[in-house]
Amino acid sequence: MKKWLNIGIIFVLVLSILAACGSESTGGSKEEGSKKEGNDPQGKLTVYVGFQEDHALEAMKQFTEDTGIEVDMIRMSGGEILAKIRAEKDNPQADVWYGGPADTFVAAVDEELLEAYKSPEADVIDDKFKDADGYWTGVYVGALGFATNKEFLEKNGLEAPTKWEDLLDPAYKGEIIMAHPGSSGTAYTILYTVLKVFGGEDKGFEYLEKLHPQVQQYTTSGSAPGRMVGMGEAGAGLLFAHDIIKYQEEGFDNIVLTIPEDGTGYETGAVGIIKGSKQAELAKKFVDWSLGTSAQEVGQRTGSYQNLTNPDAKEPEKAIRLDDINTIDYNPKEAGAERTRLIDKWDKEVNNK
Amino acid sequence: MKGSKAVGELKKLARDPLLLTVIILVIASLFVFIVYPLFQIGKVSFVNQSGEFSIDAYIRILSGSQLLTALTNSLVLALIVGTLSTIIAYTFAYTFAYMNVPFKKLFNGIAILPVISPPFVISLSAILLFGRQGFITKNLLGLENANIYGLNGLILVQTLSFFPIAFLVLAGLLRSISPALEEASQNMGASKLKTFMSVTLPLSIPGIANAFLLVFIQSLADFGNPMTIGGNYTTVAREIYLQAVGSYDMQAGSSLAMLLLFVTIVVYVIQKFWVGNRSYVTVTGKPTGGRRMIEKGPLRNIMFVICTLLSLTVITFYALVPIGSFIKLWGINNSFTLDHYTYVFSLGQKAIVDTFTLSIIATPIAGLLGMIIAFLIVRKSFIGKKTLEMVSMLSIAIPGTVLGIAYILSFNKAPLALTGTASIIIAAFVVRAIPVGIRSGVTALQQIDPSIEEASTNLGANQTKTFFGIVLPLIKPAFFSGLVNSFVKSMTAMSAVIFLISAKYNLITASILTQVESGRIGVASAYCTILIVIMIVALLFLNLLLSLFGGNYEKKQPKLKKHPKLEKQPTPQSVSM
Repeated sequence: MKKWLNIGIIFVLVLSILAACGSESTGGSKEEGSKKEGNDPQGKLTVYVGFQEDHALEAMKQFTEDTGIEVDMIRMSGGEILAKIRAEKDNPQADVWYGGPADTFVAAVDEELLEAYKSPEADVIDDKFKDADGYWTGVYVGALGFATNKEFLEKNGLEAPTKWEDLLDPAYKGEIIMAHPGSSGTAYTILYTVLKVFGGEDKGFEYLEKLHPQVQQYTTSGSAPGRMVGMGEAGAGLLFAHDIIKYQEEGFDNIVLTIPEDGTGYETGAVGIIKGSKQAELAKKFVDWSLGTSAQEVGQRTGSYQNLTNPDAKEPEKAIRLDDINTIDYNPKEAGAERTRLIDKWDKEVNNK
Repeated sequence: MKGSKAVGELKKLARDPLLLTVIILVIASLFVFIVYPLFQIGKVSFVNQSGEFSIDAYIRILSGSQLLTALTNSLVLALIVGTLSTIIAYTFAYTFAYMNVPFKKLFNGIAILPVISPPFVISLSAILLFGRQGFITKNLLGLENANIYGLNGLILVQTLSFFPIAFLVLAGLLRSISPALEEASQNMGASKLKTFMSVTLPLSIPGIANAFLLVFIQSLADFGNPMTIGGNYTTVAREIYLQAVGSYDMQAGSSLAMLLLFVTIVVYVIQKFWVGNRSYVTVTGKPTGGRRMIEKGPLRNIMFVICTLLSLTVITFYALVPIGSFIKLWGINNSFTLDHYTYVFSLGQKAIVDTFTLSIIATPIAGLLGMIIAFLIVRKSFIGKKTLEMVSMLSIAIPGTVLGIAYILSFNKAPLALTGTASIIIAAFVVRAIPVGIRSGVTALQQIDPSIEEASTNLGANQTKTFFGIVLPLIKPAFFSGLVNSFVKSMTAMSAVIFLISAKYNLITASILTQVESGRIGVASAYCTILIVIMIVALLFLNLLLSLFGGNYEKKQPKLKKHPKLEKQPTPQSVSM
């Protein structure tokens, strides 16, 4: 009896401690496994995806269908992907970063986290949507828009805003929602856009100061303002037009989408190869594929209505045409380089004044 | 006397190599999975972006920026939520342990319900109920500009989310207080109030302190709720995320994390100092009668009404989740649909299976480890015991985001190359879950006179046999609540694992967060409903296992039958789900 009990106890302990210690031995063997795969060109590709979940899954399915290459993927926001790649620098776990705003890619280039690759497929893509050195290449473009709540507009007898100045109308006091530029790429794009639209940093900040009392709250997530406008929690929200269309598609038909006529900014969603990728050849194949028409047309099947960077790809019918709107000259490199300074300045002079 | 006892313990330790091995292994794993990652984070907080030593980040925080506001905001919030949650939990726990009220089982289940759901779901419900278009604020009260965002909303949501943790601690404790003392007090003519104030309340002080501490820390480290409902009330965990993920500034993020840790340690030490030197032994192994429950009287009625109201509040918040999962778009298009489930079952299957598998593996490890550590802390003396206790509690104070990043930083290189494996997620689950297990284990053990165990060792049983044969059965309720807690925490963990999920292992909570962010409340609700159903089924199964195990046990150990408390009183969980 005593013996059995002891054996049982030892068994349980060994088992629990093995597992509690993270079972170094199994960890090690998995490591070997992935290395073996690394030598095999037909191995699996690991991709960090910045798209919406359903878009991401659909895209990976399409990729495997088109190329026969198996993919493991995980969906995260741009900032999270950057943080993860940075933390994994000495032992990269993924091969490709697919989707997410170009300025996060610019930050990654500065920290030497990406591998340059000039895809032959990138030739058709406009220079302003890709990095000159090939560290990243744009796969989609999305312009900023205003989302307003229909009932709110009716109640206040307003037309949907078409200029940035319209948002300073007293009716919008405490009614505007946007994300915090420190946490959201979308909000940083808004900040940068305003500076460009108003022709300089001083004028731009003057506007931002006036806008601040109109803002009800700064959310963490860039797309959350759309949900809040749709739910009637706020009158107006600032976010990407394709996100607004997506909310409308989800059934929020009380959201009105307008694009500022005096100029709007846009994000370029990019793709890049992670430095130290064990599947460099497959990763290149992935980049080639992502720039082609088959990959770019996946989004519209899952309700993602960004504009596409490949001119041969069929644009989603519901998307805003970039040619129809007044876009600012958005320079991702400059935007990325100025990021910390501008956000700090905004925090000091606007948010915490 | 105390010193010679310690020497004796050490000698016993030397004679019991298995126990020695256990102590070494426990300390080693805590070192690898808590101390080492914290050290990494600490290191990062002193290194600027060009790789040089600097204390700029600390200066920036302490010189009174938005980051300092976040810290003070969090402390205010945690203080309020900790106090409120403890009071609510005590009310519930007292009613269950001392009174006969109708629907007891139902109340008990409801009190634990908020544990089994990802916290930001409560935030969403709060918006649906109390937001501008909220059912209560707009439809019932006719308020125009209700504002749920900010401190008030956070207090509401966090109290609802965290009081069950306090309840689990307090329920176990109040049940194990021996009725003999209270009866003695009443027999000597003390009123019920006097008995409560001078016997019951002092006896429950360690539990109250533990419960408060746990909630306080949870509130400090909470990330999901402030993100959804915090509005412009910045809190420290959210600010850490903003710095580390949003502004790519790991140094500022980790410095803030270090300050947060410092605060937690101070609170912990104060709690320890306050409760540490008292003795609370009430389970002596000598036979006592069962407690006479309060059957009627105004007090019972008042408590019943309070419990009913609280339960109704919890139910209202939770009913919205399954209802929302069948509604096309809440508030806009209220027609019935199964689309959200179609989506979840076609795209979310892998996440569901992964979450369940990993949680099932982590649960027994965390449960057992928690009890072993509690046992070591309360009963054994060895070098490094205080450190062991401190370290094992630390993990709850590390904001999930920070723990996640610390884990990638620490376990990315050989020989500890764990990134991308299941082990790293399981380790995070275990580390996040053991503090609650340890606390309830410690609380329960402090109530039990060591003479029972001494009797066991005197009769020739070794330490391990004593642990499994005497200690574990005596603290069965605490052990079980440890198991329940680790399972539930693992299933619903979010911020800690968001960096640890990999292409091979995905988790439901990450999918839910994605859905919430993209405004698909229906899909998020469907995920949550499935999560809740899985947890309820698993808990029922666990409960069944426990009752089988418990039944067998009592046959073998007739000695324990003299202990009516252990048989008559069902564990809180065994009646709950």
